[in-house]
Amino acid sequence: MKLRDSGYGMVLSVPGLVILLLWVLIPFSIVFIISFLRYDNMSPVIPTGLANYKTVLKDPALPLVLARTFIFSFGSTGLTLLTSVILAVCLNRIVKGSAFFRSLVVMPWAVPLILSGFLWAWMFHPSFGPIGDLLMKCKLMSEPLNIYKEASTAMAGVIIADAWRRIPFLTIITLAGLQSIPPNLYEAATVDGADSFHTLRYVSLPLASRPILIGTLITLMFSFRSIDVIYSMTPGGGIGKCTYVLGTYLFDYMYEFLNYGVAASISVILIILTFGIGAFFIYYTLKKG
Amino acid sequence: MRRAFLKIVDHRATPYVVLGVITLFMISPFIWMGLSAFKTHSETFRYPPTYFPEDFTLDAMYEAWYKAPIPTYLWNSLFMCLIATFIIVVAGTFTGYALSQYRYKGSNTVLALFLFTRTIPPLALLLPYYLVLMKLGLLNTRLAVIFYLIYLSYPLVVWLLKGFFDQFPRALIDSAIVDGCSRTSAIFRIVIPVAATGVYAIAVVAFMWAWNEFFAPFLFIHYDELKPITVGLYYFVGDEYTYWNRMSAAGIYAVIPSLLFFLLAQKYIVRGLTSGALKY
Repeated sequence: MKLRDSGYGMVLSVPGLVILLLWVLIPFSIVFIISFLRYDNMSPVIPTGLANYKTVLKDPALPLVLARTFIFSFGSTGLTLLTSVILAVCLNRIVKGSAFFRSLVVMPWAVPLILSGFLWAWMFHPSFGPIGDLLMKCKLMSEPLNIYKEASTAMAGVIIADAWRRIPFLTIITLAGLQSIPPNLYEAATVDGADSFHTLRYVSLPLASRPILIGTLITLMFSFRSIDVIYSMTPGGGIGKCTYVLGTYLFDYMYEFLNYGVAASISVILIILTFGIGAFFIYYTLKKG
Repeated sequence: MRRAFLKIVDHRATPYVVLGVITLFMISPFIWMGLSAFKTHSETFRYPPTYFPEDFTLDAMYEAWYKAPIPTYLWNSLFMCLIATFIIVVAGTFTGYALSQYRYKGSNTVLALFLFTRTIPPLALLLPYYLVLMKLGLLNTRLAVIFYLIYLSYPLVVWLLKGFFDQFPRALIDSAIVDGCSRTSAIFRIVIPVAATGVYAIAVVAFMWAWNEFFAPFLFIHYDELKPITVGLYYFVGDEYTYWNRMSAAGIYAVIPSLLFFLLAQKYIVRGLTSGALKY
């Protein structure tokens, strides 16, 4: 008996679907179930309804944690987007040395985020780091820069360390988008009297907008949910918990307080919030261009 | 005003100047790490800091390699990441190929499900993974991390491979089948050989992602001899003071394998990633 093509496709998909079911959907259901249990490693596990969610939502720290999460992820994504577009436009304009610069610029991609945090923490170190020293040598600062002393500068520090690791991906995506624009469009624009700003504003960016948009949404989702840099750069959330975000909050309930029920409910909240960004990502990805 | 500005922007040298500045920013941590790995311990604690090592020494490189079990960490990372990547890419190739070339009723739903999966934060699934692995008695094994790594990049890999196979010339497959090849042998004889570089590139992306992972092995593994390099690095940073020179040396060892894989596959990665992101 010979399978029809569509049946064949189903058979081929089976191993992938099994992985999807076992590896993703089951853990996803488990975390959902645990969020409705009292599971604090001190008393017997019993269902508690919405008690865990109430604990989290009534926590006076939650609004601050959420605000920092948004500042961190949007700050990191904004810096990444700005730098990537500038880099991609420059790389697209030059011929000589393009491969050289591109290879150097994408190198941070190979660096684990946790190492990025350590390296930048050290570079920003008030006494032993080079950044504070260089700023002083250039007479831009009278005393060593201590970014860890203030909430806003500490946040800026983790944003830089996070964006540094994310720029390569978005640069490559943006560059590919720019390179897919037919060159005769630029010629036509120039003939019509457009200057560089016009071509950037009305030709390059609109035509590359789809990959830039999807790449940005991916970057936003990633910086929203990953805490590697924060964890390694400002352990415990830094001075006054100024870099304490939703992910660190979740990790503390799981790893420090061992309250799995509350941790699970924070996980569900994190899933829902990330999906708020993810929905746009899915929509623009599936939308036919 | 605008004309003067345009004159600067349109100058031939401008992109090079801008690229030079941003490139310096992008590689500065590498430079700092590369210089510090050859300093003595006391020199890393000097104020103001030195830039070029005054006492050029290989001690840190040596100590990180022999005293801290860096070779063990690297081996664990390689072992876990390669096995996870292999499983992901093999299963993902068939799934991605089917979703691209042999559509069936519901295949779009499956595709949307994969996309949805990509939006789930891995951090949020750490807890169920931890509990299940504990119940299975798999904590403190390499297998536990491999399990998690499969989850981590599987949806992405399927999605990228699907986008990649969308560009595969269907005529090649059809002509092989007309010549008497079965659909399955067409995969092995035609599709995989032709698509090898693209699949390889996507495998490198999955590998780098696995290499990068910190929190799962940090939670699952407590024995030194089983830790991957990311967790190993974490223990170079002490509470009291940090051996910056040894951490730099360890950082160099940690980055070299993934950087090597990456630079070798760079051309294909760019193509592989962008075919998935640009065309659907």
